[in-house]
Amino acid sequence: MRALRAVARRIGAGLLVLWVAATAAYLALLAAPGDTVDNIIGDGADTPDIRAEIIAQWGLDRPAVVQYVDYLVRLVNGDLGRSYLLQRPVSDVIGEQLLPTLALAVAAAGLGVLLALVIAVATAGNRRPWLRRLSSGTELLLVSTPSFLIGLLLLSVLSFRFRFFPVSGDQGAGALVLPAVTLALPIAGLLAQVLRDGLDRAIDQPFVLTARSRGVRERGVLLRHALRHALLPAVSLAGWVFGIVIGGTVIVEQVFGRPGLGQVILSAVANQDMPVVLAVVTLSAAGYVVVNTAADLAYLLVDPRLRRS
Amino acid sequence: MPANRLRTLAAAALAPLLAVAAGCANAAGPAGEAAGQPRSGGSLTWAVETEPITLNPHQYAQAKARLLVWNTFESLLTYDKQGKLVPWLATGWQTAPDGLSYTLTLRDGVTFSDGTPLDAAAVRANIDKLREPGYAPAVAAVQLRNLKAVEVVDPRTVRLTLTTPDVLILDFLASPQGAQVSPKSLRAAKNLKAGGVDVAGTGPFVLDRYVPGQELHYRRNPGYDWAPPTATHTGPAYLDEITYRFLKESAVRVGALTSSQVQLVEGVPATDQPLVTGNASLRLSRELNSGSAYSYYFNSSHAPFDDLRVRQAFREAVDVDTVLRSVYRDTATRAWSVISPSSPLYDKSLEGGYGGDAGEANTLLDQAGWTARDADGFRVKDGRRLTVRLVQSAPFVRDRRDVLAQAVQAAVKQSAGIDLKVSLVDQGTANEAFARNEYEVFDNSRADTDAGAALNLLLHSKGGINRARVNDPRIDQLLQTGQATGDPAKRAGIYAELQQRVVAEQALVLPLYAPADQIAASTSVGGVRFEPTAGVPASAYDLWIGK
Repeated sequence: MRALRAVARRIGAGLLVLWVAATAAYLALLAAPGDTVDNIIGDGADTPDIRAEIIAQWGLDRPAVVQYVDYLVRLVNGDLGRSYLLQRPVSDVIGEQLLPTLALAVAAAGLGVLLALVIAVATAGNRRPWLRRLSSGTELLLVSTPSFLIGLLLLSVLSFRFRFFPVSGDQGAGALVLPAVTLALPIAGLLAQVLRDGLDRAIDQPFVLTARSRGVRERGVLLRHALRHALLPAVSLAGWVFGIVIGGTVIVEQVFGRPGLGQVILSAVANQDMPVVLAVVTLSAAGYVVVNTAADLAYLLVDPRLRRS
Repeated sequence: MPANRLRTLAAAALAPLLAVAAGCANAAGPAGEAAGQPRSGGSLTWAVETEPITLNPHQYAQAKARLLVWNTFESLLTYDKQGKLVPWLATGWQTAPDGLSYTLTLRDGVTFSDGTPLDAAAVRANIDKLREPGYAPAVAAVQLRNLKAVEVVDPRTVRLTLTTPDVLILDFLASPQGAQVSPKSLRAAKNLKAGGVDVAGTGPFVLDRYVPGQELHYRRNPGYDWAPPTATHTGPAYLDEITYRFLKESAVRVGALTSSQVQLVEGVPATDQPLVTGNASLRLSRELNSGSAYSYYFNSSHAPFDDLRVRQAFREAVDVDTVLRSVYRDTATRAWSVISPSSPLYDKSLEGGYGGDAGEANTLLDQAGWTARDADGFRVKDGRRLTVRLVQSAPFVRDRRDVLAQAVQAAVKQSAGIDLKVSLVDQGTANEAFARNEYEVFDNSRADTDAGAALNLLLHSKGGINRARVNDPRIDQLLQTGQATGDPAKRAGIYAELQQRVVAEQALVLPLYAPADQIAASTSVGGVRFEPTAGVPASAYDLWIGK
């Protein structure tokens, strides 16, 4: 019963977050300079006749509050509306771009976490100071390099020069490698630093001494004992990773000519294509809710102490 | 926008690296048509910069999408190299002596790719659809403004009657918006305004796959046999298939070309051109666009540009050649008029008539009362600095026009003490500045095939993009006469007078450069060409792959 109530509270909070996100985005677009009619007209001809038709077509003469409530009602019914710019249902626009972005995001996040784990475990403690210095220098470089540059560098060497990978598009696993690596490198850089820091601190703990005194080998100490401790702060970065991945797709998809939500977001924001922006914001908020819930569950998995309380 | 600056930096940092990656450069000899004789078959991949917002030609608004439109859709008329209208899906047209009606005869045996025949009823269905409320408001309000009725005389003859003489109706019939869409698609397509595989046309290719964000794929229309006289062959297209891949970054497009992952690219900026010209297996071609030149329009509705002398001074303060060279090296063609030099309406006599005289600029500003200077070296009058604002809407900035603006900014400051404030903003902010009349400079170029159509929007007091806020009865009258005059020589005379008025006498604009398109292609590809008059890359109809 208690578990059920906890789940219900979780879902309720999630819905609240979605509503707040959608409303905030709506208000932000409303407050942004320029009106919707101007944005639909773009740099084309602008005459009173044209304006009148656009206003009639999209119902823009209704008060903002009415449009907002209408939007919410339709959202609840699963209708995301039509894109001003693309003249298609938003659910189509987003639906067809969701999978490529999801594939990229999962591959990048997975690769990033894996790389971070390997690097952190390999360089924690004071066993190989030169390796540690090299790796933390590289991490800093990766975290501070824009992914645009990483992507172009990877492309020019691995695709243009040596032709290991195709330059663009969603053409099977080969085309996923470079974009995923581009996105994964900064994630790996930061996560590795957090993880190593955690490992370093765990190694100084008395329980590590105990484990060592029992004759557990160094690798066992790191992987079985210290890593669990180090993972906690890393897990709390899951939301950050999600944000990096979603934000990164905007640039990576542009550089690699990959289909995906990133391109949709970019053109929708640039053109203030309200229905698409709102849908993307709501969807991202839903993503955050899911990722953070998963992170909370992961705490329980990683730390048995939390399960008891 | 920081992202933009970032991109410029990254491009600069990467140029040498890419040059290495592109492989050893060869001394390029004249390439000629290295692809040999035309032959049928094969497939090509073409990397394009812009993913079209819509695939429905009636909704066309991006010059960069024009090469895609003509693969699947065709118009009743088209332009030849000299800017003369020639028949396409129509076999000819007759103008009534009073200029109030046009009778078109249609070609026999033309069918849409869904099997529907093209007849007078289909043409009428297209125009009716364009005039339907909410479907294509910009076309209905501008291009079809003077259209009274469409009449099906017989299955092969259609007559358009006008409310007032308007030669631009012929330009409409040659434009993408005037392209013929199957009436069946007009009734039944799922997302008609967005277009897609279910919107059928009469063109040499059929769109069979669209992956948004990635590519468009076309296959040959085997029954095609109605090529326009401007094409270099007849019958079906040479290629079996063609794929257009969207690669927005020019460095990536050129890299994909040098590594043979694509065979053609369009949009090659000055910084990337050496990679193409230095490679013997690639060829670069470029062509000037039609329409209006890229110009700065001076907002003459308020100070300081309500004073002719200040407008003239701004123009004299910019050494356009130097500015263009610093931004585009030697790849840009200077414009002298508001009309592109490739247009038959261009007035050549304006060349060399003004500009680049800093001494003159300073004299003019002194005369206009901007005599004092403030601590930053800018001119001042009545305690106010000589500041003019240029607002650029980021989504529409291309050809590094933001960088060009910085070069102009430096030039006018240095030579005349004018403070040009450039802001690169989102579209909403730009629109707001325009609506509130809080700008002094407006930048624009339009790729209309008939420059008159562009000028109607830009310079007429009631024009849809009259951001210069021109309100000159003489200019209005010239524009209206030009639109109503069918005789080409007379028409050119009217537009020459107009250009003299706008550019020479009133100094309402500072023409900067004539926009151009570039195609870089592998030498194994034959038939690479530009659309006559429009000056944008042509459709894939004449392309072939050499042995």
